[in-house]
Amino acid sequence: MAGPVSVKAALEVAEVLETIVSGCVGPEGRQVLCTKPTGEVLLSRDGGRLLQVLHLEHPIARMMVACVSSHLRKTGDGAKTFVIFLCHLLRGLHAVTDKRKDSLISENIQTHGRHWKNCCQWKFISQALVTFQTQVLDYVMDQYLSRHFLSIFSSSTKERTLCRNSLELLLEAYFCGRVGRNNHNFISQLMCDYFFKCMACESGFEEVFELVDDCFVELNVGVTGLPVSDSRIMAGLVLHRDFSVYCPADGDIRTVIVTETIQPAFSTSGSEFILNSEAQFQASQFWIMERTKAMMKYLESQNVKLLLSSVKQPDLVIFCARLKGISVVECLSSGEVSLIQRVIGLSPFVLPQASSQFEISNTALVKFCKPLVLRAKRYVHLGLISTCSFIPHCLVLCGPVQGLVEQHKDALYGAFKMLRQLFKDLDLNYVTQASDQNYTSSPLIYKNSRESNQLPEVVNGSIQSPHQGTIVKNRDELAKTQTYLKVYSNLVVPSVELETRILCSTPKVTPTDTYQTDETLRCFSPNKTGIIDNHESFTESNSANSTTENTRIEISYENLQVTKTAGKGSMLPVRYKSLEICTSQSYCFSSIPAGCVLPVGGNFEILLHYYLLNYAKICQQSEETMVSMIIANALLGIPKILYKSKKGNYSFPQIYLKALHALQTSQPMVSSQTGLESVVGKYQLLTSVLQCLTKILTIDLVINIKRQPQEIYDQDSEEEL
Amino acid sequence: MSRFEAKKPSLCKSEPLTSERVRATLSVLKGIVTSCYGPLGRLKQLHNGLGGSVCTTSQSSALLANLSVTHPILKILTTSMQNHVSCFSDCGLFTAILCCNLIENAQRIGLTPSTVIKLNKHLLRLCISYLKSEACGCRIPVDFSSTQILLCLVRSILTSKPASMLTRKEIDHISTLILRAFLLTIPENTEDHIILGESIIVPLKGQRVIDSTVLPGILIEMSEVQLMKGLPVKKSDSLKVALFCASLSGDLSDTGEGTVVVSYGVSLENAVLDQLLNLGRQLVSDHVDLVMCQKVIHPSLKQFLSMHRVIAIDRVGVALMEPLSKVTGSQPVGSLGSISPSSYGSVKDLCTAKFGFKHFFHLIPNEATVCSLLLCNRNDTAWDELKLTLKEPCVLLGGGCTETHLAAYIRHKTCNEPESILKDEGCNQTELHLITEAFCSALESLAASLEHDGGEILTDMKYGHFWSLQADSPSIVNWPDLLSRCGCGLYNSQEELSWSFLRSTCHPFAPQTFLPHEAAGSANYLTLDCFTAKLNGLQVAVETANLILDLSYVIEDKN
Repeated sequence: MAGPVSVKAALEVAEVLETIVSGCVGPEGRQVLCTKPTGEVLLSRDGGRLLQVLHLEHPIARMMVACVSSHLRKTGDGAKTFVIFLCHLLRGLHAVTDKRKDSLISENIQTHGRHWKNCCQWKFISQALVTFQTQVLDYVMDQYLSRHFLSIFSSSTKERTLCRNSLELLLEAYFCGRVGRNNHNFISQLMCDYFFKCMACESGFEEVFELVDDCFVELNVGVTGLPVSDSRIMAGLVLHRDFSVYCPADGDIRTVIVTETIQPAFSTSGSEFILNSEAQFQASQFWIMERTKAMMKYLESQNVKLLLSSVKQPDLVIFCARLKGISVVECLSSGEVSLIQRVIGLSPFVLPQASSQFEISNTALVKFCKPLVLRAKRYVHLGLISTCSFIPHCLVLCGPVQGLVEQHKDALYGAFKMLRQLFKDLDLNYVTQASDQNYTSSPLIYKNSRESNQLPEVVNGSIQSPHQGTIVKNRDELAKTQTYLKVYSNLVVPSVELETRILCSTPKVTPTDTYQTDETLRCFSPNKTGIIDNHESFTESNSANSTTENTRIEISYENLQVTKTAGKGSMLPVRYKSLEICTSQSYCFSSIPAGCVLPVGGNFEILLHYYLLNYAKICQQSEETMVSMIIANALLGIPKILYKSKKGNYSFPQIYLKALHALQTSQPMVSSQTGLESVVGKYQLLTSVLQCLTKILTIDLVINIKRQPQEIYDQDSEEEL
Repeated sequence: MSRFEAKKPSLCKSEPLTSERVRATLSVLKGIVTSCYGPLGRLKQLHNGLGGSVCTTSQSSALLANLSVTHPILKILTTSMQNHVSCFSDCGLFTAILCCNLIENAQRIGLTPSTVIKLNKHLLRLCISYLKSEACGCRIPVDFSSTQILLCLVRSILTSKPASMLTRKEIDHISTLILRAFLLTIPENTEDHIILGESIIVPLKGQRVIDSTVLPGILIEMSEVQLMKGLPVKKSDSLKVALFCASLSGDLSDTGEGTVVVSYGVSLENAVLDQLLNLGRQLVSDHVDLVMCQKVIHPSLKQFLSMHRVIAIDRVGVALMEPLSKVTGSQPVGSLGSISPSSYGSVKDLCTAKFGFKHFFHLIPNEATVCSLLLCNRNDTAWDELKLTLKEPCVLLGGGCTETHLAAYIRHKTCNEPESILKDEGCNQTELHLITEAFCSALESLAASLEHDGGEILTDMKYGHFWSLQADSPSIVNWPDLLSRCGCGLYNSQEELSWSFLRSTCHPFAPQTFLPHEAAGSANYLTLDCFTAKLNGLQVAVETANLILDLSYVIEDKN
């Protein structure tokens, strides 16, 4: 089986998967019912799960599923988009090689297509893909796309605080694709409430995410037979079992955790107990009983009212506990024990081996502990007093059938995963090397923030002129001091107040210099204080740089301003890249900062499409052009599906043309939908798909074997170690 | 080593609802549940064709549990209903029929599922807020100071179970018993929150229904041997009771994970038995009259106790432990060591009783909220109903009146104030009209399925209640003469009403809201439904229908 055939086969497989998956994509997507051989039924809109339950046989399909699930493990989102995008990429590649479809393809690609066909070197294409992924994609992301990013954080300060409104928009968009359409509003609201209830302080949200992600199973309870709208959030922790002994108690309740039975056994594992007489047996039984009683008495004397045990306690312990008024919960799972430990910082009580002296140092208080009955099933409800930034709350998820409850659980879990990814910085491979040539060719890149820039052209012009002026000045200075300045972002909007933050190690300012520049600036824009402030700091940093010569100084600018998004009128801060000044030999690693989002509805795809096409135009190498073109066109497949059911002004061609027009004239893009999505998620999805495609292209033969392939061990290296 | 087998690929079907087979099976299911509905519902006989027991029922719980449905969509439907029933033990058929009706109607109008789902949800919200509002015209608050409404509720439930084959007199008797047993479980001196006592239902086959009674205290079935021994003479005005939850059988307790080596000639069994007999001696010296054990009592200990005129009852079972502890006021003992005197309890008296062919110990308590309901024909759904009513003390009018009233209200509401809905949901007037019509007719045909004998269903234009007209009535007569009372029994036909046929197209009218307070007291034989159960049933039915309408694919795992 040669290369081209495998693309064709892969395309066929991908198209089948696409038809299934595309029915569930986006806000208009519908549910899929999966039945298990055991008779259980499950509702799902989760692409990953659908692919899994299909039990595909085709080897290429299985490879795709494997790629999707590895992507999901990382990000928790994007399986459906993965399949659609992969399918469109394969379609594009197939079209390039297929002569019969020549009429559809532009002249440019055609010649390349023939070239590729002749060479029949799929390997090269896959190499081109790898190059694209590592170099071009990151470059485009960093240089062009980043100017459109919005941030989910609500303020500019170093402590990142979450903006509830934008989090709501983000979650709503996420749940639109994951749960049934009559429930997504409710579920996203529930999740948002849950998150803010669990958060002790504004800054500790990362810990909350981590904890919820780790202990999600313990933090929710599923109830069937009730409508979804009965789902609610309960303060405290709900354990999935009943009390063994319940003794009502008021006030704060002292608690201990044990991980072994309180009643000592005759013999522990590995030891031997020799009985020589009946009296000895009775005596030892008596001793065990007395010791257990003494232990329980001690617990009582320490005012312990609740005993949490990870093992089953013998009847005698239960009996004593009842007498002493100690509530007992047995058989806690290890997950529950570790959750309780993390939340209240309580470690298990270790039983003393031989001595009759007891010492309990590890106790904690809980606010309440009471039985909770949910639909005839009994649970233990604990009011833990948190010692970390997570205030324990439980989600009670209701639904008429188990399958629906499961779906909501999965979706919530995925949402936490997605958010966890969103709040991490993602480093890009792209490295900016500040060099002379670079500098002259592109002296200053202006970054216009989208949407906020509803300023008349005149104002824009007036901003530009002072900037160029400073740049000329800067260059003169730089030429002398041999330092190079790279400006990433520098947008000034006069009407909005700017917050400027300068972190400068040695701000040695030569007074005369500053004054000079200050004056020149005033000439350009005498009444715009915002700009002057800005450039003052500019010159300050320059002079500082010149005095400290070759040390690297970073001046980070976080210019934040409040803008209105077109749709809902919610306030979203626009994030700017920090301004960096580097000395000549240093490199800047670019990254996607944490919390970057874009409006939903194919915004990311259309933007990337536009910039990739632009890139392809100026690109020198033919294969790079071709790969960029294919990817750019494949990206459009996703918005096409999203807008499939829309008519008139909201149909895909209309949206697309409007967006292109807006981009060409540097006007803000207007999104028809509210809701946000994570940029990091999209970026990771793109790279995962490209990796998968590379994998498919590099395989030239599928060999059918009778038994499972054996795992390959490298024995030598193991022995060496 | 386990053998691995390759998984077979799953079967994937698109647009499952459009397939003819699914429609056919859905309508069969609907036929089954519809014909069972209500007091006049037909019974179903379930058997497997290979012998074995035959089940005759019209109850949703028995029906749905025994039907083996294969199609995934039906499975979703039936599990959803079963889950509802296991929560509320009522309104199962109501929910199932409504769900089927909604699906069928939605398919008939042929709009996109998204619109249907959106509007269905909106209409459901309207229904719920109306039913919960003060203005609701079909809700009656329950007054616990009079048993009238409670009795009506229990009676309606019993009446709607034709499989129990009760006569009117028997229904009255059982209703009174159930209510009496229920009231016994409510503690006399109530604090902030009521903790209900317990009522143990003792089923007894082969007896007349009229023989059912309510007894205070607990009945424990007695073995033949114990019957022979007879009862001890009562020494004082009450009997001292010891209750054990630990086994008194003399078995060895868990010896831990290590090994225990026993020397030759040492008998551990003897050692344990010694312990047991010591315990027996303590019981006797403490003047205990009655020893009860959840598990087994060793025969030697039993012998010893009976020699000292102590009654021993073993194998009580874990279910009775809680009520026994409540009745006697004793602490279940979990150790074989010495017993603290505080864990003993007492009963007023112990006697034997014979019901049918069975003999029972009857523990008569001093005062307790535990009672035994000796039911000769078992029916405990009414029980749960009463408990639920206590939680949310109101009931809904039954007999189809709530449904028709609700349909009239919704129709009127969407016809007169469509703007807010249209704006919220982004649909047009025609769509709203079609879907409202589908929703309301689902409710109305639900009410209409109460009628099984070919009669006509009418609704009045004032209250929007349900009136049924017998089949073969002469067509041109005075309607007030033919119709006596509406479905729930609240209104009679003599008050200047105008009627129309339920399924005819009538223009929307506003049904009278705000139920008059005295209305509740006036009628003796009201048909009532539990509020909580019905509300949940309504919600579950609409949600399940929405869920099923939203399906685009069915993937069947064939492994």
